[in-house]
Amino acid sequence: MRIVVAYKWTRDPAEATVRADGTVDWSRAKPGLSAYDPVAMELARQLAQATGAELIGVTAGGKGVAVPIASKAALSRGLDRVVIVEDESLADAGRSELAAVLAEVIRYIGDVDLVITGDSSVDVAAKMVPTVLAGELGWPAVAEVAAVSGTGVQAGAVRVERAVPGGVQVLEISGPAVLAASADAAAPRVPGMKELLAAAKKPVELLDLAALKVPPSNAVMTVTGRSRPERKARKGQLIDTTDPAAAAAELVTALRAAGTL
Amino acid sequence: MSVNAWIVVGDQPTIGNLITVARSLGGPVGAVVAGPRSVAETVAASGVDKVVWCGGPDDAPAEASAPAVAETVAADPPRVVLAGRNPGDRVLLGAAAARLKAAVLTGARTVSMDGDDVVVVNAVFGDIADETVTVSGPVALLLDGGSVPPAAGGSASIEEAAATPLAIKVIETRTSGFDEVDLNEAHRVIGVGRGFKAKEDLAMVEALAETINAEIACSRPVAEGLNWMGKDRYIGSSGAHIAPQLYFAIGVSGQLQHMVGVQGAETIVAINSDPNAAVFSQTDYGLVGDLYQLVPAITAALK
Repeated sequence: MRIVVAYKWTRDPAEATVRADGTVDWSRAKPGLSAYDPVAMELARQLAQATGAELIGVTAGGKGVAVPIASKAALSRGLDRVVIVEDESLADAGRSELAAVLAEVIRYIGDVDLVITGDSSVDVAAKMVPTVLAGELGWPAVAEVAAVSGTGVQAGAVRVERAVPGGVQVLEISGPAVLAASADAAAPRVPGMKELLAAAKKPVELLDLAALKVPPSNAVMTVTGRSRPERKARKGQLIDTTDPAAAAAELVTALRAAGTL
Repeated sequence: MSVNAWIVVGDQPTIGNLITVARSLGGPVGAVVAGPRSVAETVAASGVDKVVWCGGPDDAPAEASAPAVAETVAADPPRVVLAGRNPGDRVLLGAAAARLKAAVLTGARTVSMDGDDVVVVNAVFGDIADETVTVSGPVALLLDGGSVPPAAGGSASIEEAAATPLAIKVIETRTSGFDEVDLNEAHRVIGVGRGFKAKEDLAMVEALAETINAEIACSRPVAEGLNWMGKDRYIGSSGAHIAPQLYFAIGVSGQLQHMVGVQGAETIVAINSDPNAAVFSQTDYGLVGDLYQLVPAITAALK
């Protein structure tokens, strides 16, 4: 069995600022593994351990996604090897372009039974790359997966649990599939020195984007304007809480005066 | 009839907003339903021009029909495909987008046509910035679905598409014990964060909620990780986006990912023991102090 974890090396918008003209200043944001990817890696690692599967990390993006610190961060979380497409043209790629590239990488790797991703990327948070990827591959996709295990009956078949309104659904999938893990599907471990040292010795394969022959998109997206969204002005009034009862009374009076209560 | 906009629908007919957006673009609106037949019937009565039902067997989830949805959409290629944000609908939209080789946008604030182009004002990077994107070619939009649309009088006929479902089936469903909630319906919402030490302590929040007729919501770690309430109660960039009259952020630090979900709130009150908590820069009324004293005091003051 062969499991791929698709991950992202990127920056957290909480560390970015937006200029008055709407452009984003990332200069103070440090790149790292996207917030929920360690969850996907841990979920995949546990499944790989239980089933004896090979575990392969895959990423595609602009300049910087193949730096050693990025592949080491991924490899130290239990992956056996990583396959990376680094191409500056992918820095601003849309969700469908990225999914199309990942689909070609998965075809290139071959014999992949399962692709596992995180819940969402920390920067774009579209939650669409895994579902478009499944569409490209013609495989079933399930999002918000809370648990996954082998069925023990059929090689490659898996049983997944996912939250549905008011409960949990258990699904059985035979054949290859794409799963997007929920943010709490597994508790990621912080890699130790041993894992980091081992990561430095694991294979990193770089693929050339042009050689993948990714079919082109039928849509052309052009950014024709940028702006910083107007934030609702807030009063920012601090209420003295030395005496909790007096603070509560002041708050209630203010809310009633504003017509909120 | 050539469809201008397709709406893809899974298990829930919560597509009121999608119909509004699709109608605003002009041209015929089609809906393709992968969920139960009853969903297709509700959709057919909602004023769309055409409905195609490609549901699978009873034990197949909506996702099993993703290829059939994609084929239906591609057979009458639209300018725009729309879907709501729930997990099943995302999968259907992804399949349609892949088949059409469409652009995918998920943060649309407004959508309009400019000649043959689709123009979207799209919130990006956790809603910190807006980009106006002009798309030539097909575009797939993930939007807030909205509520179940009211019957519009009359009903579109329901076509059935022959579908070979993917090899995925439901083998068990368990209830979680959490009540379902639609936070968008609430005028007042109390959000709780990790400032609470134990689940039992939420009793004081329930008392406050009852006093002001509010729904209780939470930050992401409270629903995922702590598991104190259902996932439909967490607010944030990947959770609920709400615009109530009043939002109480109690023991919530106020990270970007949470606060984007309450930007639309008319009034925000924050209670946190940390005076440097990010939440205080984004509130109308801030109370720096012990929530264990302040919450009961506020409930008492309201009585």
